[in-house]
Amino acid sequence: MRSVATKQTNGRPERLSPERLAELTHPPVYKTLEERRAALKQATEGFRVKVRVTPDMYGRR
Amino acid sequence: MTHPGGRRSAGRSPIGRGVFAIEEEELLLPDPIALDTSFVVEALIATQPLHAVCNPFLMRIFESGISVVTSELLRVELAEAAFAIALKERWAGQWRRHRTDGRSRPRAGRLLDHTLMRYDKMFGSLTHISITLGDIATIATTFMTNYGIASYDAAHAASAIVAGAEAIVTTDTGFALLPSSLLPIYTDRSRLASCRSKRPR
Repeated sequence: MRSVATKQTNGRPERLSPERLAELTHPPVYKTLEERRAALKQATEGFRVKVRVTPDMYGRR
Repeated sequence: MTHPGGRRSAGRSPIGRGVFAIEEEELLLPDPIALDTSFVVEALIATQPLHAVCNPFLMRIFESGISVVTSELLRVELAEAAFAIALKERWAGQWRRHRTDGRSRPRAGRLLDHTLMRYDKMFGSLTHISITLGDIATIATTFMTNYGIASYDAAHAASAIVAGAEAIVTTDTGFALLPSSLLPIYTDRSRLASCRSKRPR
């Protein structure tokens, strides 16, 4: 079910419906906490590049 | 509302203006919490200047067991960054002029694979709510016209809000163009003053 958030309540956009949020939610793909911790460490350690990544390099100002 | 920063309501704080430092150990983490591309870039790439701040905060999010919200734009922006890294490594300050130069593409392809592999590992370790652009397009354009926020920032902010995230983690001060009542900002300490000065009064 698709529920596009367009309404606003007191100037604040409404949340997506619980059903839509459930559709968009992905549980961890790794089963155990240790596997998840190891995957996160692998993701964030040792990725070295020769230049500084600045916001204009991903389309920001 | 109990503010996720553990202080007064975000909309009523004249000093903090809904902007909080991720270095503060007592900072509370709302569930879910939104992540902007600028934060993910710093957390993923070890050579980035804020990696030593953002990576521990990401680990803190992980250890707390909360869910993270992102816009589907994040993956595209990371791919764009990988491509630009290859160009900048080869052409330094002239990299923008050489976008169509095919000699950078093999390196760009490897960097892209590497980046997306890390993206998949990172979000595969968390409960991840990925908001599509179709879900927020109308709200994002409203934010742009109401507050002057840039389009990509508007998409990330709208994604956070429609998912119920009570804070976005970012190193981009542009999010401070939104009122504090709409979206508290978690950023590094060096950006607190800049963010607070940009908040609408």
